Amino acid sequence: MHLLVQSIGFGVAAGAVLALGAVGFTLQFGISNVLNISYGSLMSVGAFLGLFMLGLGLNIWLVMVIGGLAVGACSVVLNRGLITPLVRKGMAPFGLVIVTVSAGIVLEYVIVAVAGPATQTYGNRSGATLNFLGWTLTTAQVVIFAIAVVLMLGLHLLLTRTQLGRAMRATSANRTLARSCGIATSRISDIAWFMSGTFCGMAGIALAITIESFDFTLGSIFLIPMIAAAVLGGVGQPYGAMIGGLVVGIVSSVSSAYWDPAYQSVVAFGIIIVMLLVRPRGLFGSSTATRKLLA
Amino acid sequence: MANLAYIVVIAAGAYTYGILTLGPDTGNGGFQQYVLGYRLPFFVAVVAAAAVGAGVGVLIGVTGLKRIRQDYQAMVMLVISIMAATVIGAAPSFLGGEPGLSLIPNPFANLSPVTGDWAYVAMVAFACVVGYLVMRRFTSGPMGRALRAMRDDEHAAAAMGFSVIKMRLLTQAVGGAFGGVSGALLVAFIGGWSPGAWAYVETLALLTAVIVGGMGNDFGVSLGTFVIAVLLLQGVQFLPQIRSHTGLTEAIGWMTLGIMTIAFLWLRPQGVFRERRPRYGQPAVGNAAGGEVAEGHS
Repeated sequence: MHLLVQSIGFGVAAGAVLALGAVGFTLQFGISNVLNISYGSLMSVGAFLGLFMLGLGLNIWLVMVIGGLAVGACSVVLNRGLITPLVRKGMAPFGLVIVTVSAGIVLEYVIVAVAGPATQTYGNRSGATLNFLGWTLTTAQVVIFAIAVVLMLGLHLLLTRTQLGRAMRATSANRTLARSCGIATSRISDIAWFMSGTFCGMAGIALAITIESFDFTLGSIFLIPMIAAAVLGGVGQPYGAMIGGLVVGIVSSVSSAYWDPAYQSVVAFGIIIVMLLVRPRGLFGSSTATRKLLA
Repeated sequence: MANLAYIVVIAAGAYTYGILTLGPDTGNGGFQQYVLGYRLPFFVAVVAAAAVGAGVGVLIGVTGLKRIRQDYQAMVMLVISIMAATVIGAAPSFLGGEPGLSLIPNPFANLSPVTGDWAYVAMVAFACVVGYLVMRRFTSGPMGRALRAMRDDEHAAAAMGFSVIKMRLLTQAVGGAFGGVSGALLVAFIGGWSPGAWAYVETLALLTAVIVGGMGNDFGVSLGTFVIAVLLLQGVQFLPQIRSHTGLTEAIGWMTLGIMTIAFLWLRPQGVFRERRPRYGQPAVGNAAGGEVAEGHS
């Protein structure tokens, strides 16, 4: 019983990071309708930017914010410089996936060329151990969880209470209609890529803090559970991705407590395949999202 | 269909060849573990690798039958290939786990190293020619016409009475068999195989070969593979080594590969050699260029 409670605690902590990443992934997909596989590599870029800034002696949480914003800027450049021109040329979705896969690999090996292929670490940043509800968590895990909650709340308020959020939701639901209503959809798209990149970079740094050692493949390994979370919640659905992240985090943490941890990511894989075959729109997918997904 | 999991088929062929020729895993001091462990002759093992490759290809193809968006499907394929490597790496007693298989016998091991290498080159060249001819039969005959029709417009092909599902799976099986053989030939030469050898970046190398050479042109794809494999992935080894930067040359190779893929998709999506469309009689009036635009929609 104690094992179960403890592993759920770890799952929630891991799920917070997952949810951060998955929300960014799904937000950008929902609005620009482009599946961005280079998202994982952008996450590694974030982690390595964090490493660089820690080397300058900055505070870890400040590093997380600056790193996030920097990756957000990279993400906008990626959209403006590569994705948008190709979409304008009428490239098929499959071609775009290959382009983002390639871009991801280029980014990964830029990291190798600059920082080398070696395993890196932020050092031990976990802080004091806290006990509550039968969970034993580190301060870092709790702070990351709190940051994730604040960001999710902020995103919720942005999407529901502001003009910009309404424009974003409109663009996601029907781009053409949104444009004819006077919404500057390409600017909305830029904003979505920026926010997605920011979530991505912050998730990358948060991940690097919690797992303690990483190399340039950090993000592409983490991409699978993130995609699982996004697919579970319904691709393009930010709220779905939040819940999906928590569910995937808890399920894989519990399963690795009772089963060989080496198979932990198999759970994520199973979720993707089952959801795809049984309910491709995800648990919370709307009918609009379904129309987007089914060919 | 976009098969980003093709590397899994190659890996399946390589592992099949490995466990069928290595002999029991108690040999060699028992430092590696794997299932089966027969000592079959080279050609039997290659045929088995083709069969397993075909089987795995069909299995992957089944997940692709579900009618979902192209890019979503591509993502699933990518996930399959990453996960297959993870699962095999996590199970040490199945196919050697993360360290993989080593000491896989070379069919020309009893020749001197140089003669053996050239004999191997000759054999692979022969296999390529045979493969090319088989592929020509497959893509130029009535079957090839049916496949083209299916690719360009599935509904129209189905309306003409072709069984789209059967044809898709058949294509997967044929492609899988080729992948299986290529995996077997590769592993018999390099002598070892592990999950690290078929990370998903390797799939990109295959895709780049196809894109650079020209999709739908057998000759172009063969040439593209040659350019990618020989010039890019091996050629970077001849760049001057910079001692302070380990892995830099490899990084340059992969970066060039990625940039090349993007550049070709952007500037010349049809590849160096475009697909030559066989002409059947007179083209329909006003629809001569119709085939070119059909690719874009999903």
